[in-house]
Amino acid sequence: MKKGYLVSALLIPGLLLAACGENNGNENAGGNENPGNDENVEAGGELVVYSARNETFVQDLLDKFEDETGIEVLALHSAEPLQIQEEAGNVQADVFISNDLGGLEYLNQEGLLVGGDYDNVDSIAEEYRAENNEWIALSSRARGFIYNKDMIDEADVPQSMEDLFDPSFADVENGYAITRGGNGGMIGNVSALRYEWGDDRTQEWIEAIQENASGIMQGHGDIRRAVGAGEHSFGLVNNYYFHQQLEEPDNNNVGFIYPDQEDGQMGAITNAAGLGNVADGPNSDNAEYFINWLLEEENQLAFVGESLEVPINPDLEPPFEDAVPIAELTLQDMPLAELGNYFQDTRSLIEDAGLDLELR
Amino acid sequence: MTNRRDGHHQEKTNTEDGKVEDRRSSTLLRVMNRWWMDIWKGNPPGPVLLIIGVITAILMSVPILYVIWRAMFAGLDSWQRLLGDRIPGLIWDTLSLMVAVTVAAIIIGVSLAWIVVRTDLPGRKWWQWLMALPLVIPPYVGAVTYIIVFGPSGWARDLWESSFLMALSDYPINIYSFWGVFMTLTLFTYPYVFLIAGASLRKMNKSFEEVARSQGMSTSQIFFKVNLPLLRPAIGAGAILISLYVLSDFGAIAMLRYVTFTAAIYYQRAGFDIPAASVLSLVLIVITVIILWIESYTRRKNKYYQTTNSYKAPDILPLGRWKPVAVFYVGLVFTVAVILPISVLIYWTAIGAGAGAIDNRFFGFAWNSIRVSGLAAIISMLLATPIIYLKSRHPSVISSTIDKLSYGGYALPGVIVALGLVFIFNNHIPMLYNTFYMIAIAFVVRFLPQAMQAGDASLSLVSPRMDEAARSLGYPAWKVMFKVVLPTIMPGVLAGGALVFVSSIKELPATLMLRPPGFDTLAVRVYYEASEAIYHQAAPGALLIVLVSIIPLHYLLKKY
Repeated sequence: MKKGYLVSALLIPGLLLAACGENNGNENAGGNENPGNDENVEAGGELVVYSARNETFVQDLLDKFEDETGIEVLALHSAEPLQIQEEAGNVQADVFISNDLGGLEYLNQEGLLVGGDYDNVDSIAEEYRAENNEWIALSSRARGFIYNKDMIDEADVPQSMEDLFDPSFADVENGYAITRGGNGGMIGNVSALRYEWGDDRTQEWIEAIQENASGIMQGHGDIRRAVGAGEHSFGLVNNYYFHQQLEEPDNNNVGFIYPDQEDGQMGAITNAAGLGNVADGPNSDNAEYFINWLLEEENQLAFVGESLEVPINPDLEPPFEDAVPIAELTLQDMPLAELGNYFQDTRSLIEDAGLDLELR
Repeated sequence: MTNRRDGHHQEKTNTEDGKVEDRRSSTLLRVMNRWWMDIWKGNPPGPVLLIIGVITAILMSVPILYVIWRAMFAGLDSWQRLLGDRIPGLIWDTLSLMVAVTVAAIIIGVSLAWIVVRTDLPGRKWWQWLMALPLVIPPYVGAVTYIIVFGPSGWARDLWESSFLMALSDYPINIYSFWGVFMTLTLFTYPYVFLIAGASLRKMNKSFEEVARSQGMSTSQIFFKVNLPLLRPAIGAGAILISLYVLSDFGAIAMLRYVTFTAAIYYQRAGFDIPAASVLSLVLIVITVIILWIESYTRRKNKYYQTTNSYKAPDILPLGRWKPVAVFYVGLVFTVAVILPISVLIYWTAIGAGAGAIDNRFFGFAWNSIRVSGLAAIISMLLATPIIYLKSRHPSVISSTIDKLSYGGYALPGVIVALGLVFIFNNHIPMLYNTFYMIAIAFVVRFLPQAMQAGDASLSLVSPRMDEAARSLGYPAWKVMFKVVLPTIMPGVLAGGALVFVSSIKELPATLMLRPPGFDTLAVRVYYEASEAIYHQAAPGALLIVLVSIIPLHYLLKKY
């Protein structure tokens, strides 16, 4: 009985709205301003994209796809991998774009992604793809420290992740900045440390940065702007945020440290951005179409786009001059797909420390 | 409903002897009927009206009940982990902010009300509505403007560092702190107290003060011993609005990087830690209920009567040598809470317009805002009218329960309503999940009471005699409703719709949580662009929201 009430309670307004909804749909079509534009016969309909990346990196790419194919892209930015899991019984997304291969591989292990055979997929090395191309990485990044050259000498910036255990970094001018623990980049960073150090030491590290950081922000864009403007001496970001800050008209006197490059150190922590094909998505044909399109070299570059990351496809020139090819760095030896095994526990570790809810 | 009970009864007795059953059932029917009539005091509503009322009440309360239910099954470890570390800290951060903002807003609101109503402040008539203006600036928009002005890279720091002050100390303001949040929320919520206290100061009877003065009390003694006690109900009403607002705010708090329960619930749900989000929601629900209970308790204990038959308007007190101080104070609050934010918005809107920020995309977002808010307003008007009619013409336990349940979503933060709706739609009504109807329904649950209050006020002016007269001419109930009642209360219903529309267009947390892919509203864009520090993109939308929000101010000023 109760359920019946519930359903009718929710359906009645729904039905009331159905009329309005139809009306809206018509007006949308009417507002198209281009009456002849309706025959997207070959490729048409919609593509639902969930994206965990910064919207400014993704939106241009999606617009490009929409313009070239006529497929309408419905984007949900700042989505989380776990939303795909939550909606598994009622799949909404066709494609999930992520900064963190850990999240993608986690979804893959849960059976929420579907593989495929795409035209140009061989342009991406196998270690940057899931076994059956359930996810494919397209651009890579390394973690490191952006610093403000007016405030701190290069030598005084941390040279390794381990340095952050040292509370004296709390005393640099205006302190340093990190992101909230819920950030995908931070989750990948912590997973890499767990692979290297084990859980106890990693937990101590989280507690140390939580204690010592003077700024804890939602995203890395906040950090690069803050460091550039002198609000903090340095911040833990992905390398391309440094390149972005260099392109700013002002507040651009910044430098970057790739940590852990000495012999015997673990090497720079890397991660990649890429996308996964969501199993049973409502427009699975369009998802396949999108991935094929995206693997065209021109569009691989568009994916890297404004983010100033480095394309994973070695044939592609990085779209900006100052790129440090990842090949020249000493990298941590963890295979990136391994991040997927750490994903859930890393989140609990961060939560236990309380860093997921800390902002300052 | 009587039928159903009757059927139930028959089922129970159908094994017994037919005759006895017949007699019994008719007795029982009579008892039931009497009981039913008793509940309604001899005036039961028609079934359609009652069904609409019951359905609405369920719609309003189910999201919250669902959250509570999920919280209870969140699992012991979720509870333990949260109770151990999280919740005490969150309670402290949330309640200290709530108390500080409420106290400060009361002090500012009451003092301003007293100055502009009771003293010869120059331009006092103007100030009486100018000082209510911060109400049109949603606190998250205000927070953006304060970050632009006072933030670590703000205009104020530039000024400071280029002046002699730099030699004295570094720039001292940290907007991303308790004090930043405190200042922002105080300045954009004090008008609640200001409006209500101002209204009661205007109605205050002079005779009390004359008596006090004849006893040799000074003006300040009169204020504390006579005015203030009489203001207590007004202050209490304002305080409850402000406390509930602080508990529910998400946007301003998120932008200023402060974490309260509401923000924590939002982040937990964004990270899909659903058990944790529901546990935190349950705690927040309990806090809210406690506050509502304290309010009703104190209101019961403090009753102040004003005699109406010997009403004399109070004197306007001369400020004398305090005049410059009063002008400075009023001017300062006005500058910080109105001129500053509006100027910042206009400045960045101009830059944004130059940079092409007001493009097709912008109009798309505006259109999304309008249609989802418009839909919410229409549904609210449709649902509010039967409920207020039921409550006013058929008073009973049932109608007042329906009325109370309809207020559930209003008292609770949008994140909780949104959380409940996500659960329900994702698990039980997948068809509507991820459609913009979900947002509209959340708005209805949140803001239906605004429509009810506005309609209620108009309906109270329509005498039930009018209905009776129409009925006696042979009109059936529904015809009375449409021909007599509705036309009369239409202005009130529409005003209620306008209020819902305006509240909806600036609503942030539920919109963020429920928006389907490809559906952004102005509020969401303002939040996103501002948190990326792309102010020229954020400002036009924010300014539009502020302009739209002037509608309820007009309504509020008429009300108080």
